[in-house]
Amino acid sequence: MAHAIKFHPGMTLLEQFVDGSLSGDVALALAAHIDLCPHCQRLSQDISADLGSQLVQQNVKKTNDDWSTMLSAIVEQPQLSKAELSANQRSQAAQQSIVVNQREFILPRALQRLAANHGKWLTLGGIATAKLPAGSEHHVSLLYINKDTEVPQHTHLGLEMTLVLAGKIVDENGEYGAGDLLINSPDDTHTPRTLADEDCLCLSVLSAPLQFKKGLTRLLNPLQQFFY
Amino acid sequence: MLKSVSVPRHDRLPQPTTDTCEPMTGQQSNSSQWEEALTFVALQRDKHAYAELFSYFAPRLKAFGMKMFGNEQQALEMVQDTMLNVWKKAALFDASRGCASTWIFTIARNVRFDMLRKKQSRKDDISADDLWLNGEYPEPQAADDAAQWDNQLLTEKLAPHFAKLPPAQREVMEKVYLQEKSHQEVSYELAIPLGTVKSRIRLALDRLREALDGARN
Repeated sequence: MAHAIKFHPGMTLLEQFVDGSLSGDVALALAAHIDLCPHCQRLSQDISADLGSQLVQQNVKKTNDDWSTMLSAIVEQPQLSKAELSANQRSQAAQQSIVVNQREFILPRALQRLAANHGKWLTLGGIATAKLPAGSEHHVSLLYINKDTEVPQHTHLGLEMTLVLAGKIVDENGEYGAGDLLINSPDDTHTPRTLADEDCLCLSVLSAPLQFKKGLTRLLNPLQQFFY
Repeated sequence: MLKSVSVPRHDRLPQPTTDTCEPMTGQQSNSSQWEEALTFVALQRDKHAYAELFSYFAPRLKAFGMKMFGNEQQALEMVQDTMLNVWKKAALFDASRGCASTWIFTIARNVRFDMLRKKQSRKDDISADDLWLNGEYPEPQAADDAAQWDNQLLTEKLAPHFAKLPPAQREVMEKVYLQEKSHQEVSYELAIPLGTVKSRIRLALDRLREALDGARN
């Protein structure tokens, strides 16, 4: 991989991801980032090891709990063989690609299952978006931006996470390539755009609709559902 | 709440992965016994080894569940599901890749996540299986990874010396190494002969090498 990932989640976010306390939509963006980022893979392994040893070292009071019923119920169950277990994993690993604007993309593992059931692509100018079935309270979508296209300047009522899956986008703060994770809070205003010769596919997670800021693009505000 | 914002660099360097599963404090039980026990469970359906694991981990998982759910019934449900998975999927455990405690923790975490999302069989929601790879990522190519870190460390070490280069050399170096321009382009831009570009680079590299050697001693 030519591109070195530069924008990672902060340590706190990574810890919350590993301990399972993040909400599903935010966790999904992290999971996909980690799939693409060996550096964060190693960090999350280290965090898991740390949490695991906390579990082992936890002191527990003596109680009168009787565990024998649970124990004997468990060992009555058949164990799964290595073959069964790896068959399971292999079907999980079946690579599926998605096609948009006649371009084919392979998605990270974390998005494979959900992306197989993505919603219809909705197109507006050079931008197309398709929802992922991530539960009703979530606003998780794939966002395709054709080359040489600008997303109108907007601000966020909530948190916006954008993970670049392929290609490149630039905004006022820098340039982002595959694996880079951008997190914008309600205070940030930005105008992401693609380069003249390269399109871009992103995962977008929004906790509230975007609000468009400038001139005529404010007319887009009634269309904000498109991005949400 | 999410306070953390995307940052260009981690605030902590990665720790080397620990090779042993011995607890740091050493007061508790000898930890490698759990790796052995799990291996026996996997290879020989060893119910005795499993019972030992169970009696150690079940109360600790329950305490963990009580903290998370604040409710005994759900905590016990989590213990049961977790320990059942430990039994059924023991063949997936690979002692060469991590500690038993890490493996059991991740199972409990996944069970809890799916319980909280109350979806289990629903297809249209995010599940623990989507989020956490079942198993391990392939080892990153150590050389590449290390090279990347070496590079980053080197860049950090070089930066202060870079600033101390004579202005003419620094200008050329910035164009070549930071803006990634060719020697020819730099020659045009600064209206200096190509040979001068090259010699300034050589001089600057020498200075930097010297500065780094000095820093090493």
